[in-house]
Amino acid sequence: MIIGVIGSGPWGRALATLAAEAGNQPRIGYRGKPPRGFRGTPNLGALSREVELMLVAVPPKEVRECIRAARPGPGNRVVIACRGLEPRTGNWLSSVITEESRCVRVGALTGPALAAEVIARRPSAMVAASAFDEVATMTQSALHSPICRVYTTSDLRGVELAAAMVRVLAVAVGMADGLQLGVGVHGVVVTRGLAEARRLGKALGAHDTTFAGLAGVGDLVACGNHPEHPGYSVGQRLARTQGADPAMAAEAAALVGLAERHGVDLPLTRAIAAIAAGKLEPRLAIDMLMRREATAE
Amino acid sequence: MSLAPPRASTAEVTDSMLRRTADRVAPQSDGKLRDLLADCVYQERKRFAAMKRPFSDPDQAEQQSVERAARALRGNRNDVEDAIFSLVRRYTHEVHNEFSDRTYGFATRLLPGMLTRLLTATGPMELLSGDFDPTARLRIEGPIERIHQLARNHTLVLAPTHLSNLDSPLLGFGIYKAGLPPFIYGAGLNLFSNPAMAFFMSRLGAYTVDRRKKHKLYKTVLKDYSVDAIGRGRHSLFFPGGTRSRSGEVEPSVKKGLLGTAIAAWQEGLRHERPRPEVLVVPCTLSYALVLEADTLIEDALKDSGKSRFIITDDEFSEPRTIARFARRVLDLDASVLVRFGQPLDLLGNPVDDEGRSLDVDGTAIDRREYVCDRQGKVVADPQRDRIYTQRLADRIVQAWHSDNVPLSTHIAAFAAWHQLREARRELDTWQVVFLRDNERLVPRKKVLAAIDRLLAAIDEAAQAGRISPALLPDGPSKAEAVLDHAIDRFSRFHREPAIADARDQGARAVSISPRVCLYYANRLEHYGFEQAARGTTNTPKGSAS
Repeated sequence: MIIGVIGSGPWGRALATLAAEAGNQPRIGYRGKPPRGFRGTPNLGALSREVELMLVAVPPKEVRECIRAARPGPGNRVVIACRGLEPRTGNWLSSVITEESRCVRVGALTGPALAAEVIARRPSAMVAASAFDEVATMTQSALHSPICRVYTTSDLRGVELAAAMVRVLAVAVGMADGLQLGVGVHGVVVTRGLAEARRLGKALGAHDTTFAGLAGVGDLVACGNHPEHPGYSVGQRLARTQGADPAMAAEAAALVGLAERHGVDLPLTRAIAAIAAGKLEPRLAIDMLMRREATAE
Repeated sequence: MSLAPPRASTAEVTDSMLRRTADRVAPQSDGKLRDLLADCVYQERKRFAAMKRPFSDPDQAEQQSVERAARALRGNRNDVEDAIFSLVRRYTHEVHNEFSDRTYGFATRLLPGMLTRLLTATGPMELLSGDFDPTARLRIEGPIERIHQLARNHTLVLAPTHLSNLDSPLLGFGIYKAGLPPFIYGAGLNLFSNPAMAFFMSRLGAYTVDRRKKHKLYKTVLKDYSVDAIGRGRHSLFFPGGTRSRSGEVEPSVKKGLLGTAIAAWQEGLRHERPRPEVLVVPCTLSYALVLEADTLIEDALKDSGKSRFIITDDEFSEPRTIARFARRVLDLDASVLVRFGQPLDLLGNPVDDEGRSLDVDGTAIDRREYVCDRQGKVVADPQRDRIYTQRLADRIVQAWHSDNVPLSTHIAAFAAWHQLREARRELDTWQVVFLRDNERLVPRKKVLAAIDRLLAAIDEAAQAGRISPALLPDGPSKAEAVLDHAIDRFSRFHREPAIADARDQGARAVSISPRVCLYYANRLEHYGFEQAARGTTNTPKGSAS
């Protein structure tokens, strides 16, 4: 099977590696320099016409533009392989595909697999989600191999939410390490952060179990103490410089906005949004969170 | 090419239905088949036990067939299969009305007069006389020419909103008046209880749906019948809402059973390479200034008994004289009923061009067959995928209904008055407001007028954004005055308790509101976020679930 991968960054190349490892032929759609070691095309429209399955491995803010260029059609299956909501609109990335094209069969892919580790052929696992069983199983066939187990689920909303939350919660883990707060804080972020994700997931109709799986706890544990993870590295930098990261602030704010629309409170995510926006000092945020009213777990 | 659907005899349809049943039965385990038949026997016995005796001849025959099926359950697989085939044959005969081009032509030539008389007469004999034409005021809008063109090469599924039992005859007339080809539609047996209605509907392609039969086998027969009819190129009319909107609102969701049959028929057409496999959907929005059954329907919605009283048999529609009064007093008024045909959609809810090709977001044509075919062009069966496609189509139809909804004076005035009443009694929840006494239902006229002004501005804004259609307003020096007076005049013509009336002892200073009927008409503007405009405040009153 020929598998289209949009994005020639480390993660795009990692997915192409997995596709090749699974016995498929990856084609990378790129802008700028052609990827080394893989066949590719700068013409995303041609890529859509050539392949049935496309994996989107570009930053969330670039997804819309890429879909406009690729213009997938009724016969395509498009799987979002990046984490987050669209920063400008707060939309689900899978919805961006259906807004910008007539492609309906969409999915999401996430889990504890980091680009460098995948390229080094270390074992990893991911979860492919789609309301369409055929999209999830096609993604599984595209990537499942002895170096990566790919599981399937129908809980697209839960997986997209877990991926977006993990990206932001990883900032807290990175920040805790940057401030040398100790490993206990990792546990607090993982459990309380995912409790926030679960609350919001419940309001959105996601499956509770998704957050205890590869997309949730699996991914968040993996990103802890890993400088390659974008969220983790942002957290460390924020702890070090006390500066701001507008892109991460926008992503966290999009999650907070989504939660507010559904009447759900996300104190930890809200604090991360404020820190990333440069409106709150990290230590003060931790102090505020620790002074919240005592409550039952 | 003729726009009329090809004819199929009862024998042909029965053969096809039995073939479909055989395909479905063959892979089933014995246990599953017995469950199917047992469900039918159980549900039917329950129905007969609740029916008044003595039974009519058809009911008696039906009961005997159910008892035969019960005996088959004690036999082997062949007995069970035979019983299922026998029931399918019986149900097909009951459902199928042999459609005849000739009869249709005859009926449509007489249609305006027939409909007039249907609405004003009390029996078939009285259809022969009458001299007034309420249907002359029926307003029909939408891309009629385009739909007409598309009907030449595509099978159309018309998907209207559903407010009243008058929808079917009025739509039948609207279809005729618009010069569109005939559409078949499933009409509840209860509608045939009105003799004039039965006479009319059976000649306009109505097939019979017995909603009392709740078992799976019967529902499967209905779906197969629909797939078969669409596959034969018969334009079909479904009410995707399933039943009349109890609350008066534009339906926020729909039932997907029959919509799914359109998708199944399309794939079947592609698989068998039929000459005209393509199916398109035309959403359609009906707007009534007044609704015949408003009193009963809102009562039902408020009791939250819509489910248990799914088939209301004793509403205004079962009283021929009430229909006649409604026709004379309401339908003869200008713009009392508006039928708006929406833009045709493919079965994924995408817009189509004049040739019926599905359009991409940038307006270029796409090949919609790719949604269901593999790269070799072969149709791939995937029931799970089809369920999601059906849901998507349902969502698009609901979206079209909302954007094609035309606010009339009665809806606008009722929405403004209802929210002013809610605002005046903020301490009460919706249900308490509904039970207010006569002297507690007064609202200053100037407050209602101000609310109408704000509401009209909000509707304008929403119409510009394509979320609703522009309001159809009466002429008058002041818009709000004209809307309120027009609505009060309309309400006074039919309902026992008008939704809004001038308060007699308050001169022109207040209006009296009948909360239930007012809520019914106000609900037509629900789901648009107009509440704040109508209330004039940002705070929400207690339990504002209306």
